[in-house]
Amino acid sequence: MDKKTVTTISYLSRLKIDNDKEKKIINDLSNIIEFVDQLNEVDTTEITPLTNPLEKTAKTRKDIVTAKNLKKELLEVAPSANEDYFLVPRVVE
Amino acid sequence: VTIKYKSIKEIKNMISHKEISNKEVIQEVFSLINEYKDLNAFITLNEENSIKKAEELDNNPSDLPLAGIPIAQKDLFCTEGLRTTCGSNILNNFIPPYSATVIENLENAGCISVGKTNMDEFAMGSSNETSFFGNVKNPWGKDLVPGGSSGGAASAVAAGLVPAATGTDTGGSIRQPASLCGITGIKPTYGRVSRWGMIAFASSLDQAGPMARTAEDCAFMLNEMCSHDEKDTTSLDNDIPDFEENLNSSLKGKKIGIVKDIDLSSLNNDVVETYQNSLKEFESMGAELVDISLPNLSLSVPTYYVVAPAECSSNLSRFDGVKFGMRSDDVKDLEELYVKTRSKGFGDEVKRRILIGSYVLSAGYYDAYYKKAQQVRRLIKNDFDNAFKSIDVIMTPTTRGPAFKIGSKGDDPIQMYLEDLFTISANLAGLPAMSLPNGNIENKPIGLQIIGNFLDESTILNFAHMFQNQTNWHMYTPEGIKK
Repeated sequence: MDKKTVTTISYLSRLKIDNDKEKKIINDLSNIIEFVDQLNEVDTTEITPLTNPLEKTAKTRKDIVTAKNLKKELLEVAPSANEDYFLVPRVVE
Repeated sequence: VTIKYKSIKEIKNMISHKEISNKEVIQEVFSLINEYKDLNAFITLNEENSIKKAEELDNNPSDLPLAGIPIAQKDLFCTEGLRTTCGSNILNNFIPPYSATVIENLENAGCISVGKTNMDEFAMGSSNETSFFGNVKNPWGKDLVPGGSSGGAASAVAAGLVPAATGTDTGGSIRQPASLCGITGIKPTYGRVSRWGMIAFASSLDQAGPMARTAEDCAFMLNEMCSHDEKDTTSLDNDIPDFEENLNSSLKGKKIGIVKDIDLSSLNNDVVETYQNSLKEFESMGAELVDISLPNLSLSVPTYYVVAPAECSSNLSRFDGVKFGMRSDDVKDLEELYVKTRSKGFGDEVKRRILIGSYVLSAGYYDAYYKKAQQVRRLIKNDFDNAFKSIDVIMTPTTRGPAFKIGSKGDDPIQMYLEDLFTISANLAGLPAMSLPNGNIENKPIGLQIIGNFLDESTILNFAHMFQNQTNWHMYTPEGIKK
């Protein structure tokens, strides 16, 4: 874990790391990665990954509309919206 | 007449025998919350609506199972029309247009949601120190943490402000604060309780459950919280038993697994003695102790700290300042809107976990970390499957020690992560597990953890209830709180 890696993952995470916190974050992340590295001592050859404790295929339900149209309510809680859309800074010139 | 430290059943009887009106119950709750507001257990109160609902119940008495019972809801459940922050600045102003299934279930059973409890930001923490709204104090000592992440819930129940609260548990967030505050809490089997409307942290681990003073009250609550919910595709459609039915079954001949891989000598002596005294108590009721092995148990914490951050970094990508929550002003383009909003809106621990998640999921590291952790996760689950072939429950201490001082874990995240050493494995394996008070160390409570087999909440509640029939640890209350 070095400065370059932290720059890459903070870009992927859409987070900006303050300069005064950078050193501590590099240090913390290095310690955490070192801590989880003990997993490498385990032989997991031919072990199927467990992604979910239920190991069931997600159930499907009947194709019937049950949701209410909450357009007005949802736009009301948006930081910026008009009567139809969420508003963000201009993305095309 | 007071409802302080009364059980759900006692409050129900008081209401039905007209010893107290529904309105008086709710008025007392808000007067207690105000009296103990320095605990910082609540983020948002729901006073006006609660009083109104109580008045309606006084005019039209109801025989619903939780009619008029005041419940504190963790601020991670969406509540229609009531601010829901998840302990974060980024949701500081968020008022959901709908309620979580758990909230609907409890309110359909008649309960009154009196407010939203404080918690570690996005449930990431074990001391409630990561909340944007300030840390919660433990009623057992104002300089002590209540545990986390359901710290406000645990503190409110331990101080007698409400008889019960909802919590959520991703790696121990119900059980660890229950242990540190001297109350009882259960994390059900993964899939028992709908996750719909719960703000997601790690979707393959998150599960909601009740926190109360007794196993019996937890059973009452759980009866109402569980449901099969089509809106959550991991919600189980297995039959849901009546969790009260089995509470008084005899423990004669039942087998308790003792994990020989846990090195008790590394723990505080008082913790070990408390634990062993509880095992003797169960033996006196006819249960047998059986040595079991969970050889991969020590890998639970490192496994968790790959799986949980990976899922969190994905889940928390929805907080971008566009559709709801906080948005940072003064941005020149959309990219900067995302970055500034997230950087300002999230606290340090949340950022740390998002970064770790992005790292373990990124190209080149996916197999080495994420896939590897999921493989070890299976080994941990296999260990439990084998153990449960010959036993009914597993018992361990819930925590390594009693409540610690606010600020005492310093800023080394790994020290805090190890708080959940005994609790995390149940989340990885999806098993039900609970914590109940089983002793006091230097006037601070501590808990016993009981882990059950898949879908077998009834058996762990049975063990806990029988223990509480024989012992008084769950009845102790903090000295600083008036009886």
